[in-house]
Amino acid sequence: MAATVSSASGLLAMLNEHHPLLKLHALSNLNAFVDHFWPEISTSVPVIESLYEDEEFDQRQLAALLVSKVFYYLGELNDSLSYALGAGPLFDVSEDSDYVHTLLAKAVDEYAVLKPKESSQESEKVDPRLEAIVERLLDKCILDGKYQQAMGIAVECHRLDKIEEAIIKSDNVHTTLSYCINISHAFVNPREYRREVLQLLVKIYQKLPSPDYLSICQCLMFLDEPEGVANILEKLLRSENMDDALLAFQIAFDLVENERQAFLLNVRDRLSDPKPHPSDVPSVQDSMGSSTGNAPPADVDMTVEAPAAVGNVLDPSEMTYSERLARVRGILSGETSIQLTLQFLYSHNRSDLLILKTIKQSVEMRNSVCHSATIHANAIMHAGTTVDTFLRENLDWLSRATNWAKFSATAGLGVIHRGHLQQGRSLMAPYLPQSGATSGGSPYSEGGALYALGLIHANHGEGIKQFLRDSLRSTTTEVIQHGACLGLGLAALGTADEEIYDEVKNVLYSDSAVAGEAAGISMGLLMVGSASEKASEMLAYAHDTQHEKIIRGLALGIALTVYGREEQADTLIEQMTRDQDPILRYGGMYALALAYRGTSNNKAIRQLLHFAVSDVSDDVRRTAVLALGFVLYSEPEQTPRIVSLLSESYNPHVRYGAALAVGISCAGTGLSEAISLLEPLTSDVVDFVRQGALISMAMVMVQTSEASDSRVGTFRRQLEKIILDKHEDTMSKMGAILASGILDAGGRNVTIKLLSKTKHDKVTAVVGLAVFTQFWYWYPLIYFISLAFSPTAFIGLNYDLKVPKFDFLSHAKPSLFEYPRPTTPPAATSTVKLPTAVLSTSAKAKARAKKEAEKAAIAEKMSVEETSSVVAASSGKGKAVAEKEGESLQVLSFLVDSASEKKPEPEPTFEILTNPARVVPAQEKYIKFLEDSRYTPVKLAPSGFVLLKDLRPSEPEVLSLTDSPSSMVSPAAAGSATAAQQSQASSMAVDEEPQPPQPFECSL
Amino acid sequence: MDAKLTEVAQLFERFKAASMRNDFDSATNLLSQLKVLLTEFKSLPPLFEESPNAIQELTIARDIYEHAVVLSVKTEDQDAFERDFFQLKPYYTDTGSRLPPSPQEYPILGLNLLRLLVQNRIAEFHTELELLSSSALENPCIKHAVELEQSFMEGAYNRVLSARRTVPHETYVYFMDLLAKTVRDEIAGCSEKAYDYLSISDARQMLMFSTDKELYEYISEDHPEWEVKNGSVFFQKVKESAPSKEIPSLQLINQTLSYARELERIV
Repeated sequence: MAATVSSASGLLAMLNEHHPLLKLHALSNLNAFVDHFWPEISTSVPVIESLYEDEEFDQRQLAALLVSKVFYYLGELNDSLSYALGAGPLFDVSEDSDYVHTLLAKAVDEYAVLKPKESSQESEKVDPRLEAIVERLLDKCILDGKYQQAMGIAVECHRLDKIEEAIIKSDNVHTTLSYCINISHAFVNPREYRREVLQLLVKIYQKLPSPDYLSICQCLMFLDEPEGVANILEKLLRSENMDDALLAFQIAFDLVENERQAFLLNVRDRLSDPKPHPSDVPSVQDSMGSSTGNAPPADVDMTVEAPAAVGNVLDPSEMTYSERLARVRGILSGETSIQLTLQFLYSHNRSDLLILKTIKQSVEMRNSVCHSATIHANAIMHAGTTVDTFLRENLDWLSRATNWAKFSATAGLGVIHRGHLQQGRSLMAPYLPQSGATSGGSPYSEGGALYALGLIHANHGEGIKQFLRDSLRSTTTEVIQHGACLGLGLAALGTADEEIYDEVKNVLYSDSAVAGEAAGISMGLLMVGSASEKASEMLAYAHDTQHEKIIRGLALGIALTVYGREEQADTLIEQMTRDQDPILRYGGMYALALAYRGTSNNKAIRQLLHFAVSDVSDDVRRTAVLALGFVLYSEPEQTPRIVSLLSESYNPHVRYGAALAVGISCAGTGLSEAISLLEPLTSDVVDFVRQGALISMAMVMVQTSEASDSRVGTFRRQLEKIILDKHEDTMSKMGAILASGILDAGGRNVTIKLLSKTKHDKVTAVVGLAVFTQFWYWYPLIYFISLAFSPTAFIGLNYDLKVPKFDFLSHAKPSLFEYPRPTTPPAATSTVKLPTAVLSTSAKAKARAKKEAEKAAIAEKMSVEETSSVVAASSGKGKAVAEKEGESLQVLSFLVDSASEKKPEPEPTFEILTNPARVVPAQEKYIKFLEDSRYTPVKLAPSGFVLLKDLRPSEPEVLSLTDSPSSMVSPAAAGSATAAQQSQASSMAVDEEPQPPQPFECSL
Repeated sequence: MDAKLTEVAQLFERFKAASMRNDFDSATNLLSQLKVLLTEFKSLPPLFEESPNAIQELTIARDIYEHAVVLSVKTEDQDAFERDFFQLKPYYTDTGSRLPPSPQEYPILGLNLLRLLVQNRIAEFHTELELLSSSALENPCIKHAVELEQSFMEGAYNRVLSARRTVPHETYVYFMDLLAKTVRDEIAGCSEKAYDYLSISDARQMLMFSTDKELYEYISEDHPEWEVKNGSVFFQKVKESAPSKEIPSLQLINQTLSYARELERIV
C-alpha cells in the first residue's frame, strides 16, 4: 500500500515557486531524498546554487548542503567540500553515512595539506570553516574515546594542541603516548615537525604523575638534549629506591643501543659528581686521555671513577650515589655492554672451523682473491669472539698474504677482537709501527694494525684516539696513513672532533691516492650526521683532485656527513646528483640513502628509482638501487616488492644493486620474499651478480635456522658446492666464501641489525653497512660489516651489573632456533649415499620383508647412531651375497626403515634458557619470563641488556658468566665449558675478560 | 475532518470561484496560499505518510493542482504551467494504488504534450509518450496531440493548422494558437535552407501572413539576418565553413616517440 515517489521533478518544480516557504519545503524534502534522486537533481543544481547565493534567502545553508550532496554523488569532491563548508553547522560530522565519511576524509586531507603551509609561509590562511569542521571532528573523536584516530589526524594536521588534548584525555595515557611516539617515527615528516611533536610528548610525559623515563629518554635522545637525560638519570640515581637505580641503568643500556657516541659522552659528562667533589670530570678525562702513553688506554673511565668514589669520606647517600654513578658512566661509555657482549660471544662461540678448513683446502693457493676472502670470512665468522685458532693453526698458509692482502689479514685481527678494549693494544702490539726504530715490519701490516685498532674500538675510541693520532702524525708512508685514517675515523665515529678532522685533512691535502681515499672516508666517519660546513669543503676538494680514489672516498665521506638529516640535506644531495662527475653522483646516491635512512620517504625512493633507470653511469645506477635498501630498512617487507622489477633488469649492475638492497634492508630477518627474490640471482649469468646475491642471501639468512626455513640448508649446500667447484668464477667464489663467513658471523651468535629495539636507527650499524658496500672497490672495507653485528643475546643483569643465574622460557620447539649442526667430516658423506642407492631397488625385497622377522628384530635393536656404520658394513658384505639371495637388501631396507621410525623423537614444545642466553630475533616473540622466578626484569624486553630486579635480595646470588675470585659462589653453569680456561685469567686485573690469546706473530 | 483540511477545502472553493469568474489576480493569490497550506500535509508526495485523512488530503491536493494547471493555461503562463504540472504529476504516477483515477488526468497530460510540442521539445514529448499505457494512447486528448506531432514531423503544416478546429477540450485553444507560431518558425527554417531567395509575395504566402507588413515585422524581429531587396527576401546562408578538424599529427608523432624512448629506458 505504501506509495513511494518516483521522481523528484515535482519538488524541483516547487523550487521555482515564488513563495519562500514552498522553496524551503522543496529543499528540505529534496535533502531527504537526494540519495535516490541525485541524477534528477543534478540538472537543477544551478537553481539550488542560486538559492545559496541569494543573500536574502534564509535557508542558504540547507541549499549548500543539498548542492554538496549532489556534487558528492557526481564525484566532484572539491566542489562538494566547498559547499559543505558553506553548509556550516548543518554538515553533521557525526552522521554515519558515506557522504559524511567521504567528505570528512577529504576535509582532513585538505586541511592537512594547507595547515603546514600556513605556518611556514604566511601565504594562505586556512579557511576557518574548514578548520571548524576538522576541529569538530577531532572533538568528536576524543569524546567517543577514539583517541588513536584523533591523534593520527591531529599529527597529520600539525595540530599540536589537539594532540596534547587527545593524549591527556585518553583513558590510558601511557599506551597512547607510546602509540604517538611510534607514529611520529614512522609517519611524521619532515624532521623539524617531528622534533616539535617529540618535544610536546616529552612535555606531556613530564607532567604525568608516574613518568615513563625509558620513553622520555628515548625522545630526548632523538631531540639531542643530553641535559634532560642527564637530569633524569641523576634524579633516579639519587633516589633512595634501588628500583630507580635499576631503571637508570636500564635507560643507560637502551641509550647505548643506539650508538650515538657523541650524545652518550655528553650525557656522561653532564652527570654531576658526588657533592664533596666538584671537580669537573671532563677535564680529568682529557688529561688522562692525553697522558695515556703506553698504559692500557681503555681503562680510562674505570680509573677516573675509582679515586672519585673511594678517595674521600662521603656521607652514605653520597656513597651510594657515587657508586651508582660509576656504574652508569661505565654503561654510558659503552664499556659495560661491550665487555658483556664480548664475554657472551666468547663463551657461546659455536663457529665451525671445519667450514673454514674446507674453504681453505679447496681454494687454490695462487688465487689471492679467494685467499684473502677466506681470511675475511674467518674474521667475520669469529667477529668479537677473540677466537683466533684458525689463524694460529695456519700460520704458513696465512703468510702467503702479501701487500694489501697482508693489510687485510692484520686488520682481520681487529674484527676478531672487536670490543676487546682492555687488551686491544697489547694484542696488536707486534704489528704496530714501532716509534723511532725502523723495525723490519712491513708498512702493510702496520697500517692494517692501526685499522684493526680502529675496528676494536669502533665508536668507543676514547682511549685509543690519541695513539692513532700520534701514529698518523709520525708517518709518511701512505699505507700506514691509510690504516691510521680508517682507524681514527672508526674510533672517533660521529664525535665531530675538530682537531682530528684537521689532521686527517692534512693527509687528504697531500693528494696521495691511497691515503686520500681513506682520509675522505675518515672525515665522513668523524662528521657523521653533523651536516657541517665541512661537506662543502670536501666537495670543493673532490672537484680539484685528479685521483678517482680520493674523489670516491670524499663522495662517501660527504654522504656520511648528512646522515639522518632528511630534508636538511636536500641542497647538498641536489648539488651532488647534478654533478658532471659520475663518482660524485654516486656519492649523491649514498647521501640520499643515508640522509633518509630507514624513513621510507617516498620522495627519496622516487628519486632513487629515477636515477636507477636513467643515469648513464652503471656505478651510479647500481648504487641508486642499493641505496633503496638503506631507505627502506625500517620496512623490510616493502623492499622485495619495490626492487623485484629491477632485479630482472637487463643491466647486471642494477641486478647487483637490487640484490644488495634486499640484503641490506632485510638483513637478519630471514624474510621469505627476500629469499625468493635472491634465489634466482644466486645463479645469475654474470659473476658479480652472483657474488652480490650470495652475500645478500647470507645477510638475510644470518641467524635463521634450517628448521624455520629449509632454504637455509639448501643455501649452505649451494655455498659449499660453489666453493668446491674448480670451474667457478673467482668473483662468485669470493662471494660464496664471504657469504659463508657472514652466515656464521660472530660464532653464530650475531645478527645484522640496523634498528634498535625502540625502532631508532643504530648509527654505527648503518654507517658500517654503507661503508661495507664499498668493498666493490676496496676489499679491506669488508670489515666494516662487523659494525653492523649485534649479538642475539638476552643478558640479564643485577644491581651490581653482574650476570646472575636466571631462567626463562622460550615457548617454542628448541630445534626451531638451535645452532646449525656442525658439519661432519667428508668421510661421512660417502656412506650416506649407499643406503639410498640400495633403497631404490628394494621394492621387491620389501614384499618379502615380513618373512624375515628375525632379522628385523635384530635391526630394530640397533641404535640410530649405529645405523649408518652398520649400513656401510653390511653393504660391503652384501655385495658378495646379493646376487644369490638378495637377503642383504632386506636387511638394509629394514635398517633404514627402523632408523626412520626412530628418528622423530617427541620434541618438547618449550625450552628453558639460562641467562645469558642466545635469543635469535625470530625467537623473541616466544620468550616468556617465569612468574615464580627470583628476578623480574625491569623492562619486558626479550633480548638485549635487561636489568633484573631481585625479589629475594637476602639469598646469596648465583652468578654465571663470571669467574671473578671475589664472587666465588659457585662455578657458572652456562660458562662451565670455558670456566677452566677463564680461571687462568683470573689473575688479571680485569677479571671479567676472557683470557687474552697469547700474542703470536705470524710472518706477516 | 480536521481543521486544516476544512480550511484548505474552503479556500479551494474560493479559488475555484475566482478562477471561474476569471479573476486571475485573486486566484493566483489564493493558489499560493493553498500550496503553502499543502506543504503541511505529510501524506502528500514525496513523504506519503500514513494518516487517517490521507485519501481526502491527496484527493484535494490533486484537485488543487489540476485547477492550478488549468488556471496557468488561462493566464497563458507557460512557466507556471510547467511548474504546476510537475507538482501534479506524482499524484498521477505514484498514487494509482490509493486514489481513483481523476477525470482530468488525460486532458491535462494531453495539454502537457501539446505544450512540449509548442516549445518544440520533441525529445521530452516522446519521453512522456513512452510513459503512457497503450490504452491511454486511445484517449482522444492524447491522440490529438500524437496526431499533431506526426503531421508536424511530416511537414503537413496545413493539417496542423486545421486541427485547431477539432480540439477535444477548450483549454487546448491557447496552445493551438501558439502552435501556429511554431509552425511558422519551422517553415522559415526550411525555406532558409531550401531557397537562396524568395519573392515577397511567395514568402508571405509561405509564412502564412496576410499582409506584407506582418512579414516585415516578423523578419525584423525573428530573422534580422534576412535581407529584403528588389522585392525579394534573400536568405544569407551562413557560409558553412566545414570545420575539417585538423589532426595534430606533429604533436602526436612527438608524443609517441617520447613514449617509445621512455619505454626503452625503463629497466
